[in-house]
Amino acid sequence: MRKILAIMVGKIVILLSRRLGNQGTDFPGRVARKIYPGILKALAANIDEEIFIVTGTNGKTTTSNMIAAILKEKGYSLVHNSAGANMLTGITTAFIKASDILGRNKFDYALLEVDEAYVPLLIHEARPRVVIITNFFRDQLDRYGELDHTINLIKDGVRNTDIELVLNGDDPLITHFQHDTGLHCWYYGFEDTVYDSMESEESREGRYCVFCGEELEYSRYHYAQLGQFNCPRCQNHNPHLNFTGRGLKMTPFIEMKVNDLAIESPYQGFYNAYNILAAVSAARLVGIEDGVIQKAIAGYQPRAGRMENFIINGKRTVLILVKNPTGLNQTLSTLLYDQQSKNLFVALNDNAADGRDISWIWDADVEVLAQDKAQIVKVVCSGQRSGDMAVRIKYSGIDSRLISIKSSLEEGIRAATAGPGEVSYILSTYTALFDCQKILKKMQQQDEAEKTVGVQQMQA
Amino acid sequence: MAVFTIAHLYPDLLNLYGDRGNLLCLQQRMVWHGHDCRIKNIRLGDNLDYSSLDMIFMGGGSDREQGLVYQDLVKRSDSFMVAIEEGMPVLCICGAYQLLGSSYLDLDGHLMEGLKFFDFTTRATKNRLIGNVLIKACLGGQEMTVVGFENHGGRTYFEDNSLQPFGEVLRGYGNNGEDQKEGIKYHHLIGTYLHGPLLPKNPGVADFFLKTMAQRRGIEFGSRLDDDIELTAHEQMKNRLI
Repeated sequence: MRKILAIMVGKIVILLSRRLGNQGTDFPGRVARKIYPGILKALAANIDEEIFIVTGTNGKTTTSNMIAAILKEKGYSLVHNSAGANMLTGITTAFIKASDILGRNKFDYALLEVDEAYVPLLIHEARPRVVIITNFFRDQLDRYGELDHTINLIKDGVRNTDIELVLNGDDPLITHFQHDTGLHCWYYGFEDTVYDSMESEESREGRYCVFCGEELEYSRYHYAQLGQFNCPRCQNHNPHLNFTGRGLKMTPFIEMKVNDLAIESPYQGFYNAYNILAAVSAARLVGIEDGVIQKAIAGYQPRAGRMENFIINGKRTVLILVKNPTGLNQTLSTLLYDQQSKNLFVALNDNAADGRDISWIWDADVEVLAQDKAQIVKVVCSGQRSGDMAVRIKYSGIDSRLISIKSSLEEGIRAATAGPGEVSYILSTYTALFDCQKILKKMQQQDEAEKTVGVQQMQA
Repeated sequence: MAVFTIAHLYPDLLNLYGDRGNLLCLQQRMVWHGHDCRIKNIRLGDNLDYSSLDMIFMGGGSDREQGLVYQDLVKRSDSFMVAIEEGMPVLCICGAYQLLGSSYLDLDGHLMEGLKFFDFTTRATKNRLIGNVLIKACLGGQEMTVVGFENHGGRTYFEDNSLQPFGEVLRGYGNNGEDQKEGIKYHHLIGTYLHGPLLPKNPGVADFFLKTMAQRRGIEFGSRLDDDIELTAHEQMKNRLI
């Protein structure tokens, strides 16, 4: 009875928050869990085949969305928390949304993107069959302490289960999972690519052997700390790969082979190549046919805040979610490849979902903004920590007269898009993203309306 | 124009939570003050020549990494303490601050030795002290508020009551969440749990180090820097906490 009540109330809260224009992904789940704490466990029992979870620092959302796209292409029914709401409350919301009022309808699969810290709790409530770990990068350390701690949390969570792990074989921070948990592990990774470098350019995460602490030797870096490594002391090295990415091409869209299966995607960037490789590996484990995988990946387009385009004042305006140093570095490198002059807007919030500790902005290489080829002509900083963001950008060495602070998102976005740049980049952390998106949509509509009026006047 | 050198100790081991922001800040401000500033990375086993240095910086790391650093540093602890006594500006954040004390008791009950420069001890607890901090400090005769973010499992207790904290806690936890003390200050050394990073939005603290570096070379800075943006960030957090 409490279960039905929890589902009902949850569904009502979902409807209400949608009415109010909220994304409202955590709150309905939180309310339902208050009414019936066993709600997630009960609904998770309705999954006929398997529950898959995707965790790790970067690429969770894209990887899980791609796996979902493949399963849907195959015609399976599934529960999927697609909005990036990846704590227990958000996952509960996803189950309530998919469920009928009695909580009895069945699904083939559940595909859950899970925040690293919630993996043990989720395993306790939902008993997944497969855990896919994308990588471990520095991210939002403030909530759990250091990266070592996060990794141990997950390791403890999967120990003494019959879960199978799908792991990034190029990540030196993952190689001890098999040894320490005794679980069956599948590995994916890349062969040599033309984009590899022989020297590292980025942060030091994981450059020390997880077994003996010795500094690792790399023969190649694919991306950040992902690459071909070995430990000179204890011989720890890349595991044997079950799923190998071969012949990677990015011109600029991704093409590669996963073992012998040719894959094409409208995505760009090496980090996305890893996401695709992880998704294809998981799909092959499920036994999905080649043609289905190929079609789903080829048809899967970039989403909200992952380089979403708008036209404002007749100029291209790009909305990008940034949430950690790696993501910010990825975004800044994209900016450098863009030849046009730029207005830059950055909204930095410090709510729980953004990370309370904003010091990560100092771990990103913001200095590239001061390079001439970045062509930054205006900077507006906004959000709850607009001051900190402005300080960060000032210390990149850019002319501080170009920087202004507007705590209101709308004022900030209007100021930025009115700047002299040929294109505007709108960067935002998670909890400001949907507000930024709403503001941009509104501005775009106003523009279109004015244009229509203008055309009518001209015709008259 | 003078060229100053800051040693960054163990950058590949101790470098958490945007620590490098402190160095970026010192370096840029020194340039804005009209001088040049170089960062010298010191790794395990590298030679440390204090006479060629104007400042020493050490950041935070995980327990394992602190163990490696201790082994390396203890071999040269005498000369390091001499430099501190002679007024070398030193900034030690979080894990590096803990190393300056007599010991660190980790969660498994292992007692790790510290450099024993100061008589304080740290013991790890399961509940980490995490959040924004506001403290009141006095540097170079100037009272100032300092804002930052702390995230530490270790709780630090002064065993010697004559030790001076870096500041008095107004909001947040500080050394242990009990005695209102945050960090340590001794001559031109500051040890603190504040990161965020510390210096960029506390330009007063940054300039305390820079001015000390300059004065030790007989150099005075000219006009003050324009700190509008830095102070906006400082006030934003201060207003939120008060």
